Amino acid sequence: MNLDAADTRARLESFLRAAAGADAVHIRHLYRLSGGAVQENWALDADMAGGTQPGPHQWVLRTDAAARVAASLGRSDEFHILQFAHAAGLHAPEPLWLCRDLAVTGREFFVMQRLPGIASGHRVTRDAALVPDRARLACELAENLARLHAIHPPQSKLSFLATMHARDNIAHYRQYLDQLADAHPALEWGLRWCEVHAPDREETTFIHRDYRTGNYLVHEGRLAGVLDWEFAAFGNPLEDVGWIFAKCWRFAGKALPAGGIAEPADFLVPYRLASGRTVTPEALVYWQVMAHVRWAIIALQQAQRHLSGVERSLELALTGRIVAELEYEIIALTR
Amino acid sequence: MNDIPDAPELLAIARSTLLDKLLPRVPEELRYDALMIANAMAIAARENTAGDTAILAEVVRLAALLKEQCEPRAGAELRSARSDLNRRLAAHIRAGRFDDRDRTALLDHLAQTAAGELAVSNPRALEA
Repeated sequence: MNLDAADTRARLESFLRAAAGADAVHIRHLYRLSGGAVQENWALDADMAGGTQPGPHQWVLRTDAAARVAASLGRSDEFHILQFAHAAGLHAPEPLWLCRDLAVTGREFFVMQRLPGIASGHRVTRDAALVPDRARLACELAENLARLHAIHPPQSKLSFLATMHARDNIAHYRQYLDQLADAHPALEWGLRWCEVHAPDREETTFIHRDYRTGNYLVHEGRLAGVLDWEFAAFGNPLEDVGWIFAKCWRFAGKALPAGGIAEPADFLVPYRLASGRTVTPEALVYWQVMAHVRWAIIALQQAQRHLSGVERSLELALTGRIVAELEYEIIALTR
Repeated sequence: MNDIPDAPELLAIARSTLLDKLLPRVPEELRYDALMIANAMAIAARENTAGDTAILAEVVRLAALLKEQCEPRAGAELRSARSDLNRRLAAHIRAGRFDDRDRTALLDHLAQTAAGELAVSNPRALEA
């Protein structure tokens, strides 16, 4: 989809003018940002005349890519999560306007504040100059996550969120595997292991479910934003900890378990101090196994999007080929 | 018969032409696409070179795990046999039949299978 076509641009300008109560909106730049096989993010630079915020603005327009992952929320729900998370001070970008009128761009979208910084997992884990103090960044990530995990259901503004505990996840992933033509014994093993080792009792908090390197912004070495709230749910807070520790999200920093940027204690100690939760080594392994299983399931779904013809894409096709790596790690963790 | 240079050789020279000649002149916003193309070509070449050897070994191991006779097969029949055996193995794993007894044999098999696939899709992951 090209949002920058002249007629789409004109419709966007009139939507923004009406939404912001401005006299006029002129879009200076509109270009697709890299990343996001599930959602498209477009940088949107605009000048606004009149209204409450006259002057130049830098926003992000977020819309569905053609290939949506079944488990991810629609743009309208994500908009409401962002409103909640921004108000709660969780480093979420401020959401501005939601557009459900398909006549504007052909898909639902919303516009949010564009935060400064770099998200690329490869760069954040490779380029030491971007993160001069890795322990401090890990601490900021841990404290922010602890704040997120201090939110318990019910929340009237998040009543649409599902509640998913370990056994719910297992049932959900098995249901997906059963729809596929081919069986995946290594993933079945990971799921069986997770079933046998499932915690007897679990806490329930607000969880992000994609809180990892590559999904947060680093600006001047500090945590500047948390992105991609489309998988948020209520569930076990340790799922988020396992996700950010999982080897598949360490990028160039494979030897640094906390997000590929820091040692475990750099994250777990501030997380304990801020949340009161001690993450045992067993729980950390458990939720890393679950993380690899979950990412493998999503990778299979993305490959299916390509194979089924819903969205032909080299990136989605290649994602199918990372499953073996995830299986290899599941086996190593459960031996 | 005119299949020389063969598929891996064609993919190898096409890939090095892409990386050496085209990539330096590819605009920044298309660089990632070009690198993904090079990666896809490398995977396809390794898969072609590997042939059926790894699948054959996988099927032999699967039959042993499931305590079944293993008929010699090739091509599409070999792949279909692998699918059948994997489906049955997956059902046994889910039912807990590999929780204790044969657990080590299962994990050895799964690790070898994943390693064989990694040798095609991302050999560098095996070095780590």
